[in-house]
Amino acid sequence: MNKGKIVSVSGPLVTAEGMEEANIQDICRVGNLGLIGEIIEMRGNIASIQVYEETSMVGPGEPVESTGEALSVELAPGLISQMFDGIQRPLDKFLEQVESNFLNRGVAVEPLDRTKQWTFVPTAEVGARVTTGDVIGTVQETPVVLHKIMVPAGIEGTVKKLEQGAFNITETVAVIETEEGDKELTMTQKWPVRRGRPTARKLNPTAPLVTGQRVIDTLFPVAKGGSAAVPGPFGAGKTVVQHQIAKYADVDIVVYVGCGERGNEMTDVINEFPELIDPNTGESIMARTILIANTSNMPVAAREASIYTGITLAEYFRDMGYSVAIMADSTSRWAEALREMSGRLEEMPGDEGYPAYLGSRIAEFYERAGKVIALGNEGREGSITAIGAVSPPGGDTSEPVTQNTMRVAKVFWGLDSSLAQKRHFPSINWLESYSLYQNEMTAYIGKELDTDWTNMVIRSMALLQDEAELQEIVQLVGAESLSERDRLKLAVSRMIREDYLQQNAFDDVDTYTSIQKQFEMLTTILSFEDEANHGMELGAYFDEIMEGTIEVRDRIARGKYIHEDQIEEFKTIRETVKETIHQIVERGGMEENA
Amino acid sequence: MARKIGVVGDKDSVMPFKMLGFDVFFASDAREARRYVDRLAKEEYGIIYLTEPLAEQIPDTVKRYDDVIEPAVILIPNHKGSLNIGKKRIQENVEKAVGQNIL
Ligand SMILES: Nc1ncnc2c1ncn2[C@@H]1O[C@H](COP(=O)(O)OP(=O)(O)OP(=O)(O)O)[C@@H](O)[C@H]1O
Ligand SMILES: [Mg+2]
Repeated sequence: MNKGKIVSVSGPLVTAEGMEEANIQDICRVGNLGLIGEIIEMRGNIASIQVYEETSMVGPGEPVESTGEALSVELAPGLISQMFDGIQRPLDKFLEQVESNFLNRGVAVEPLDRTKQWTFVPTAEVGARVTTGDVIGTVQETPVVLHKIMVPAGIEGTVKKLEQGAFNITETVAVIETEEGDKELTMTQKWPVRRGRPTARKLNPTAPLVTGQRVIDTLFPVAKGGSAAVPGPFGAGKTVVQHQIAKYADVDIVVYVGCGERGNEMTDVINEFPELIDPNTGESIMARTILIANTSNMPVAAREASIYTGITLAEYFRDMGYSVAIMADSTSRWAEALREMSGRLEEMPGDEGYPAYLGSRIAEFYERAGKVIALGNEGREGSITAIGAVSPPGGDTSEPVTQNTMRVAKVFWGLDSSLAQKRHFPSINWLESYSLYQNEMTAYIGKELDTDWTNMVIRSMALLQDEAELQEIVQLVGAESLSERDRLKLAVSRMIREDYLQQNAFDDVDTYTSIQKQFEMLTTILSFEDEANHGMELGAYFDEIMEGTIEVRDRIARGKYIHEDQIEEFKTIRETVKETIHQIVERGGMEENA
Repeated sequence: MARKIGVVGDKDSVMPFKMLGFDVFFASDAREARRYVDRLAKEEYGIIYLTEPLAEQIPDTVKRYDDVIEPAVILIPNHKGSLNIGKKRIQENVEKAVGQNIL
């Protein structure tokens, strides 16, 4: 292919002439250093190229060569536990090769280890007819991930040969006889990141993604295959929420995209994650995690690509029939990268300088999530749950990125800086947040628990809403004017806030709460209200009840630190509540049968 | 709307109120007194007269209605004479409301 010539360089944007043979979205090698870039606009023979590496010292006159390929990722065993940059260069290999934290420019590294041997176990039969998506073999990639080797897109035919044993990802493991002749398959596929991988059909999400975070699972659950946004001002806890979900979500695979955030946060992840044990499998959570890092010190254009790289990897594992969660922290930094490139292209700016296509780009990302039946004759069911952090400047959620995200994401966990200041974490505001999956997910959990969970959730929400109203009254005319019932409501909603919704991510026990324990905790708090109301009906006074139950209420408050294998203790607490209030009633001079 | 008025106290003291047409409830000890006062409050009596000796035995109950508008619990002497807590309470309440004792 003909080489073009650089006309101008403006930060990450390079313009080159003589590119008539190239196409939009082609990957190019730019300049003498051979930097990696992608054509994002073609006008006649002039190509605008966004360069994924730093462009200083690159100047006009230097050559540009198109590879004729779109920006793609390599899909094969070896993805899990890896950390990549936005265009799938493995960061650890990189560090070894260039011996620096900063990516050396123009260095070509293979995305995946080409020498490592994997044990390929064939699952198809010679002579069987196979088509796109059919599994022909498996590789136990990590203790918890069985990597399924699927027939790549566009191939259909009869299995002519199928190997068994140890192979690297470039060696042939199968031969398929097709109409266009024999096709040799390795364990590797390639896929262009800007195109969603095809599926057989979309399904409606039905099951919740259990995160172990009480405010999320109980009040604002997200479905497996759903989408959620975590908007929050500076320091409100977005990253911690994302990390918690990455750690504890009951999914098979986690793809974590660190996008334009602080570099040391990804270092934290690398240091911390391998030591954490997945409560669902008992293995290290790294054994199911892929990290993509484009931190603030890396070039802005690669940040734009990182989101697509991440979702493509997620789709690949969904195709295998797995539930995948993808986290992006933060989509605002990604949108800023879009804005910067758009500005340099001198496109017509839209809201706040963002390009007019911001909304459709955001929608494209979230719409690639979902629950599907994968291609292939087994009808594998897989899901991608997409969870994006949004960092609205100044916490103003009317800005374009938040608004466009709210239009597509079905769950909104609004972080609140005033809660964060009061050290109420996670600072998810219970009055402003919502989940469009709430009805279905609580019903699902209720069925699993064999109880009226929905009613408990609705009641808790109602208490929190009543509390907000009652507090307004209190501010106007003082707490004395409230009825004892309302004062009890205030006390119980406070218990819900402090003893239930508040959850310390850094406490060994509190960091994760199973659904079963969430049920026990909430039941205990709500039963306190029932018992107290009953006691008041029998003539006990609110103040008497509160004074008499200080000790047992303290036990309820410490319920979050009860270990998962000791949750019968909540039953004892509930019995104590009942007894204590009974005694108060007796002392108050009323008979039980009044 | 006229509010119901109830009287709680020992039989000798409150009998005369009955002749005046008030609802009268006999209570001989704290337990009964507390039960009647709470019941009348729940039944939306606007004013509850309570004899001082009984009031002394159920301070929590009396205090409970201090801060609410209705019912007003008003202490009355019994037939043996006043303990003066009724008056003291009025003074206290006035002081709370006005800021100084003007009585
Ligand atoms: N669940 C939690 N439990 C305890 N502490 C928390 C929790 N969530 C957040 N915090 C505290 O708040 C701090 C800030 O959280 P985090 O870094 O997640 O905020 P952020 O919204 O990502 O900030 P930025 O806008 O800078 O990216 C944490 O370092 C931690 O001290
Ligand atoms: Mg953060």
